[in-house]
Amino acid sequence: MEKLYDIVENFTQYPGVAGFEYMAFDELTKYVKSLNIFDEIGTTPVGSFYGIMRCGKKNAPLILCDAHIDTIGFVVTEVCEGGFLKIANIGGIAAKILPASEVNIYGKETIKGVFVSKPPHLHEANEYDQKMNVVDNYIDTGLPLEKLKSIVRVGTPVGFPCKLQRLLGDNLAGAGFDDRLCGAAIVRALMYLDKKSLNVDVAFQFSGTEETVYTGAMTTAYRLNPDKAIVIDVTHAFVPGAPKAREGVKAGLGGDICLSPHTHRGFTKFAIEVAKKEGIPYQLSSAPGATGTNSNAVQTSRNGIPTLLVSIPLKNMHTMSELVDMKDALDTARFVAAVIKAL
Amino acid sequence: MLKYLKRYCDILGPSGMEDEIRNAIIEDIKDSGCEYEVDPMGNLTVFKKGKKRRDNKVLFSAHMDEVGFMVKYIDDDGYVLFNSIGGVDRRVVSGRRIIFCESNTHGVVASKAVHMQTPEERGKCEQISDMHIDIGARSRAEANEHIMIGDCATFVPNYTEFGEGLIRSKALDDRFGCAVLVDMINQDLEYDTYFTFNVCEEVGCNGAREVAHRLRPDIVFVLEATTAGDTLGTPKSKRACALGEGAVLSIADRSTIYNKELLETAVETANEKGIKWQYKNVVAGGNESGEYQRTASGAKVLAISAPARYIHSESNVLSVNDMQSVADLAFAINERSFN
Repeated sequence: MEKLYDIVENFTQYPGVAGFEYMAFDELTKYVKSLNIFDEIGTTPVGSFYGIMRCGKKNAPLILCDAHIDTIGFVVTEVCEGGFLKIANIGGIAAKILPASEVNIYGKETIKGVFVSKPPHLHEANEYDQKMNVVDNYIDTGLPLEKLKSIVRVGTPVGFPCKLQRLLGDNLAGAGFDDRLCGAAIVRALMYLDKKSLNVDVAFQFSGTEETVYTGAMTTAYRLNPDKAIVIDVTHAFVPGAPKAREGVKAGLGGDICLSPHTHRGFTKFAIEVAKKEGIPYQLSSAPGATGTNSNAVQTSRNGIPTLLVSIPLKNMHTMSELVDMKDALDTARFVAAVIKAL
Repeated sequence: MLKYLKRYCDILGPSGMEDEIRNAIIEDIKDSGCEYEVDPMGNLTVFKKGKKRRDNKVLFSAHMDEVGFMVKYIDDDGYVLFNSIGGVDRRVVSGRRIIFCESNTHGVVASKAVHMQTPEERGKCEQISDMHIDIGARSRAEANEHIMIGDCATFVPNYTEFGEGLIRSKALDDRFGCAVLVDMINQDLEYDTYFTFNVCEEVGCNGAREVAHRLRPDIVFVLEATTAGDTLGTPKSKRACALGEGAVLSIADRSTIYNKELLETAVETANEKGIKWQYKNVVAGGNESGEYQRTASGAKVLAISAPARYIHSESNVLSVNDMQSVADLAFAINERSFN
């Protein structure tokens, strides 16, 4: 578990708003190299990072583990008088969480910003009945315009800083767990494996732009050309007020294996049997339509790739305070390792 | 003033739980040669002898408490239902980190993910009473090992320099006022002066009412943070005040019409000493001045404020220069005899 915490502490600190994944590459590459897991490491023009672990056997099939490296965030649309920044969101974000929240602005240097919160004397009579739009919010940098212009321009990405805070048990709060946490779980899974004893090569792709257009997963899966794929993402853990159909996935009960037309039924059933046999906790969910993950992009790459989707239950997704039970992340890592071993 | 500010801001002290901030202040004034007293409500009142006496009793006032949250109920699954202590805009609560004062238990205010919101819910923010805090407990019993009904929480301490010459923190309202008063108490004063550090301003100025009753001051200066509306697109007429423009002098707000004579004295003093100041140009908000003005036989009151953006959130943003202007003006005005 402590190894997993270490990886999460590293992976969550790099910037990497969708479309700006390259900002994470240098530090990520350095860190991943230090773990000494992969025989080959690279990045792609579409914002993905990958590593390949070879078992050393000739013509060994390749198993791909996918998580996405990009996070939700914002992009500057106007640098304004008074040191304010207008923004647009990248990925789905609820406007209600923004006022007075802290952000990192990844300009020529990284500076701090605070979303403006409307003072009470400017509230309208029906203030809270009105719908808020993310783009109506803007950021205060506290800097004079000229100085701000020398650091930030239209197109500069903005994200929530990840402040990790342990809560009771193994619960951990932070930002960008979607999906850096899953990248960490994959790396942890690979650490369980003795590559010489495997019958397969294993690739880890940390794909770009999942939060927007899935192009990272599509193109990296094409490049790596795997025989099977496991997509690891986060899913909503049940919280009060969530739809009843979501009660099936709760924090603390293990990774969530998803049955969907956008995954491979046979591979999924096989994986469930592996979990049962190994006594690894898991939960089940279904996605009759889109899974909202990279599974479809990976599954439809080249001639089609049998794809399994497993997700780590997460609360407060797409906020500055995403919340995970790290037991679930570790169980998901164990599950991924067990499936790879069983192939 | 700045040397006290970070420590004061980082202390957890919502209304009704001012013990720790009060002890920190006592620690900083006890060797200044002042006399101090903690009254039954918890207000800390201080008398500092000056070189001279003056006929009128002059009081400088700041409040120690900050806005916060209180546990109302813990449900079967260990989720904490709560409400705010003092006025907090619901939109600065959702998704935020909080810390419970007694147990230092950390929590996150749950925010239903955007994906799970119904079309009706999207873009809107639920009331605070419909939110819950997640401390990572899986049951009421587990939660109760750490917190109970009535426990209080605040935003997580986060004092930091911000932008150019600004400070961002929880609780600058009104720990900055406390820091200015502590600074004054530790200096040699021209005249005998009273000071008070009050409890429970954020829930109705209850501390000030009691202090006014007991001390019966003739003249009161309230040092406060006041809302600055100087953000993008706000017309000048609606800004109230602006960061960087100096100490704020109010003509009137929702609780007080300020004493004209004191206001003129303050303007005159500021101009004489070259201290930057501005008028608050909207009638909005309120502070403890109202209580001093109307309690017992009444008093002459004036608020000397520092402009504050995003007050009552985790991100109060104030200018160091403005806070210094408030400190300078308070000190300069206290050199007057008021006879």
